[in-house]
Amino acid sequence: MITYIGSENIISPLGNSAEENFTHVSNGKSGIELFKNVGVGKEDLYLSKIKSLEVDHKFDYLLSNCLDSIINASSDNIINSEDTIVIISTTKGDIQENLATPIQASVDKLQQDYNLAHTPLVISNACISGVLAMNTANNFIQANSYKHAFVIGADAISSFVLYGFQSLYAVSDEPCQPFDKERKGITLGEGAAGVLMSSDPTVFKKESFEFVEGTSSNDANHISGPSRTGEGLYRTVNKTMELGGVKTSEVDFISAHGTGTLFNDEMESIAFDRLEMNAIPLNSLKGYFGHTLGAAGLIESAISMQSMRNNTVVKSLGYANDGTSGGINILTENIEKELTTFLKTASGFGGCNASAIIRKVK
Amino acid sequence: MSYISSYCHISSTIYSVNGQVANTFESGTLDEIISELYTSLDIKYSKFHKMDQLSKIGFIGTELIKRDFPAIDNYGENDIAVLFANRRSSATTDINFLDSYQDGGIPSPSLFVYTLPNIVIGEISIRNKWFGENMFTISNHFDANYFANYCDILLQKSSEAALCGWVNVDDNKIEAFFFFITKKDIKQLNLQLNSEKLTEIYRAI
Repeated sequence: MITYIGSENIISPLGNSAEENFTHVSNGKSGIELFKNVGVGKEDLYLSKIKSLEVDHKFDYLLSNCLDSIINASSDNIINSEDTIVIISTTKGDIQENLATPIQASVDKLQQDYNLAHTPLVISNACISGVLAMNTANNFIQANSYKHAFVIGADAISSFVLYGFQSLYAVSDEPCQPFDKERKGITLGEGAAGVLMSSDPTVFKKESFEFVEGTSSNDANHISGPSRTGEGLYRTVNKTMELGGVKTSEVDFISAHGTGTLFNDEMESIAFDRLEMNAIPLNSLKGYFGHTLGAAGLIESAISMQSMRNNTVVKSLGYANDGTSGGINILTENIEKELTTFLKTASGFGGCNASAIIRKVK
Repeated sequence: MSYISSYCHISSTIYSVNGQVANTFESGTLDEIISELYTSLDIKYSKFHKMDQLSKIGFIGTELIKRDFPAIDNYGENDIAVLFANRRSSATTDINFLDSYQDGGIPSPSLFVYTLPNIVIGEISIRNKWFGENMFTISNHFDANYFANYCDILLQKSSEAALCGWVNVDDNKIEAFFFFITKKDIKQLNLQLNSEKLTEIYRAI
């Protein structure tokens, strides 16, 4: 049985649909701008922040708007079906406005508002949450637990998270430059993205893709520092490729995690080197969207699905000079070619790593 | 078909293994109870002392399961999936982190790294050199249906066993339940994994 994936949507500073976001990204436009007085001690910082989003409970707004778009791009009524699960990926939810129950209050509201047949499954597993949510949807569909899964990731910028990354000296004073020699850290972003996954290809209004396989693996090394050998990333990619029966030569491009921190990007380059994926065109999309945490895996997968629709792999914005030791093929220009298959990876605090393979339906 | 091969409960007043009360606590603060539990394990693990309460309870629960089920050491390093869940994510540490900077203070990096609930899975993976599948989920109630179903799914894929935890450390209360799922009924507890059986043993204490 094939798991189909499509109806992708993105809400970010670059737009409110996957198409609009992809158009800007393929033109090299970034959502990152300088904001005044936002950091610790009123420091000015670069953020990828949705300026038009001046509502209370931004997280709730992002979730429901993203879900609406996926519903509109899919068959009527499957959202309320007994055969459907909603899977939500987030790290901190509505932490800015609801410290006591930052996630569950919003999810309960969503379940009521949309009259969902099942309680949504909420995955909060640091920066791999989005990829893990797709992997979980695939596992449910393959096991016949559900036929359809609406998978949405969202996180809003909060002083809580911004101050936290600043306390770790992990925030760049320039727009982030993943994999570049001069990289100085992350740029925080906000947004939402989602997909529909299903065993039935007819529920998608546009062409869907095949979600081939997805797995996760822990580094078993350090809670906030990446493994020096890229251990967990190496293992999850190997496992995904093996279970999916996909050869390295079949992967057209890699949508890497690439946060822009010294240690993370170095770790990824080592893992891809060990995987002998050095020649495969690779990008990080953080230069366009910043690091959107629980939304990142889904935003980046949705852009990569748009890449396949448009047969264009976008360059890794912010990258100019090689700054990692793995010897990998980071894109400095967009590439136009017939695309069939991509690999998505993510890594996060807690030593977690996840990977997934998506390809055009054969 | 999968089996529950070991389980334990930890609350603010007692802890039990496979339904048998192993110890009771005199009343005390959470930190005192956690400290008493750690001391009773008689292990030296210096990283334990820097963990937040969620990670400490997750760590202790895992040690109790390992003690009850020593054959856990026979699994390969990629074999064990770790699936944890709770009601309120990292709420207690979130509040402590907020307190660190709220009145003009400096945000604490050592608290910030624990403001993600899956850090407990990281701590357990580091301690045991486990490289398997990871997932932390959040739900209002112990979701026996999810755990039973998803363990079955992972054990039919690339995992050989699953360590699961429902770990809540909030409002000065501990409510934690750990269980270890295997493909065979190795210990012959006769607990075939399904949501009814899981609910029954979850509620048994």
